Amino acid sequence: MNVFLIAWKEIKTSFRDLRTLLFLIAFPILLMLVLGTALTNAFSTSITVDEMKVLYKDTTHADYFKQFVEQAKKSGIQFKEVSVNINGKNEVKQGKYHGYIETDPNGIQLYLNNKTSIEGNILQGMLSAYVDQYNIASVIIKTNPEKMEDAFSREKQDDFIKETSLLPGKQPSSMDYYAIATTTLIILFGSLNASSLIVSERTRKTADRLIASPVSKSEIFIGKVLGGLVTNILCVLLVVFFSKLVFKANWGDHLGLVFLVLLTEIVFAVSLGIGISFLAKASGGPSIILMVAIQLAGFFGGAYYKIDNAEGLYKLLTDLSPLTWVNSSITKIIYSHDFSAAIPAIGFNLAGAIVFLLVAVISLQRREGL
Amino acid sequence: MNVLEIQNLTKKFGDFIAVDNMSLSVAEGEIFGFLGTNGAGKSTTINMIAGLLRSNDGTIEILGKNSRFAKMNLGMVPQDLAIYEDMTAFENVKFFAGLYGLRGNLLKERVEEALEFVGLEDKHKSYPKSFSGGMKRRLNIACSIAHRPKLIIMDEPTVGIDPQSRNYILNSVRKLNEMGCTIIYTSHYMEEVEEICTRVAIIDHGKIIAEGTKDQLKSIITNTKDIWIEVRSAEQLNLESVKEIHGVEAVQLEDNVLKINSDTGVNNLNKIIEHLINHQIEIRSCEEKAPNLETVFLTLTGRNLRDH
Repeated sequence: MNVFLIAWKEIKTSFRDLRTLLFLIAFPILLMLVLGTALTNAFSTSITVDEMKVLYKDTTHADYFKQFVEQAKKSGIQFKEVSVNINGKNEVKQGKYHGYIETDPNGIQLYLNNKTSIEGNILQGMLSAYVDQYNIASVIIKTNPEKMEDAFSREKQDDFIKETSLLPGKQPSSMDYYAIATTTLIILFGSLNASSLIVSERTRKTADRLIASPVSKSEIFIGKVLGGLVTNILCVLLVVFFSKLVFKANWGDHLGLVFLVLLTEIVFAVSLGIGISFLAKASGGPSIILMVAIQLAGFFGGAYYKIDNAEGLYKLLTDLSPLTWVNSSITKIIYSHDFSAAIPAIGFNLAGAIVFLLVAVISLQRREGL
Repeated sequence: MNVLEIQNLTKKFGDFIAVDNMSLSVAEGEIFGFLGTNGAGKSTTINMIAGLLRSNDGTIEILGKNSRFAKMNLGMVPQDLAIYEDMTAFENVKFFAGLYGLRGNLLKERVEEALEFVGLEDKHKSYPKSFSGGMKRRLNIACSIAHRPKLIIMDEPTVGIDPQSRNYILNSVRKLNEMGCTIIYTSHYMEEVEEICTRVAIIDHGKIIAEGTKDQLKSIITNTKDIWIEVRSAEQLNLESVKEIHGVEAVQLEDNVLKINSDTGVNNLNKIIEHLINHQIEIRSCEEKAPNLETVFLTLTGRNLRDH
């Protein structure tokens, strides 16, 4: 019963502490909002192209090129024939037009300001397609003109390539990504509060009163850990539901399993904090160690930016971050319905928690007082 | 009946022996004073009684037990304030009283009773951060008495507070005693111990060097007397030279008052005054004091209680 009394006191005082609320609830929500909004483009799969303007000079006056221009205009590209007193190349150099096309009996010349720009690529692609079709048409006319109609039939042309997007609509948006990454990061930050669970009783001198009461050390320890766990769980629940309801973040259809993974991370974080508080005895030591460790785990665990295709030492460092395991597991559960992905993360978290709890329990047993 | 029984208690920190084979008993209904300079072993002994430290040897029994039952009957008022600043006065007392198994209406009654006892009933919804030092000290006491312990250990409960709060606490100690509590009281203020304690133990270098009622302790040193000589300035005086005068046992200088402990069998007042005059020390007044606990302590330990 005393365990629950101590746990309840811990929860109550934690929620009265404005710093705890700001740190565990307001901070992740704000971070989610900032990163999720600011880095939207990094996660976008579509590209918006501004209106394209192209100059052209057609000395062949061929029907095919006129048709090309007409078709291209339908795609929203502005074509303008160059007037006599204007140098098309200079106009492109000055950035007034995206490209300049010159056709003469020898062929087609395309001048672009930036060959690697999206607009340049589009123009190149369109002209290549036009030239290819022109060449095909020339060959057909020379060999079998009757087949011309069949060859360029729209229906048949559509059958050549079928484009299919894998898991259409199942890629995380920036908000979806940072909802997960920020939540798991802030859980790890919960270890900072956990590191002061026992130490705070010593600094406030209430440890002596607790030990003098008819409560065993183990009851005090379990009560404190339980209180820390419940506080963190409640904060994480608030953050997850807030991001789901307000930011419309995608937490998937298997919230139970996602919460289970998050719960094991909370157990790991609280155990980490308590364990480090017993290992680093110097005042302020645990906070410094944890802060550095969490920042590194966050950096290499993809909390601040998405990590793709890490290799070599960088991959090793990302694999060492507990956030990599948890984030990867949750992402697979949400987007691939891969339930087995939860096992490595849960295993990693619980194994780590056991190690740090053992450190704390052994230290506490050896220690006089709390 | 003894409420506390200590037998051959020893505590070592490395090679340092903080408590050396100490034996002590405190009878029911006593206010037992524990006197000693800093580092004498007083707090270590108290911490072992409260279960905060493990002894290397010896036994401690509270009401004949040394288990959870003993803790149920023990109230600890630590020297440092042991309260939660982020909990109201009521919540503080309720939390600690709850650890002793009190629940429901009984818990509420006892908490209200404890707060009323220390005069904080009007402040039960206030947070300690808004309290004065004296009020915090009183809350510190309330947290220790709500479960009605039979033995209360008060470790310097009046440190750093105003005279009014100190009087309030001293009266509270007397009242608790009248209500049937046995109290172990430590203080740096000798006058407090002399005022409220029924029996006193003097501890030095981890050992009890004297124990008994105030009169019994004073009788130990009836062969000495205190002579207090107020001087204008004692800059030129060598205290060691005063000690060389026949019959002088100990000499201290405090605020231009020369406190001399001397053998009652030797009439040396004239020699002392002559010695001072020879050293151009101007005498303002001279007084022979009846022995008190301060004298006893000084005589037995060679140090003042507030020496470090």
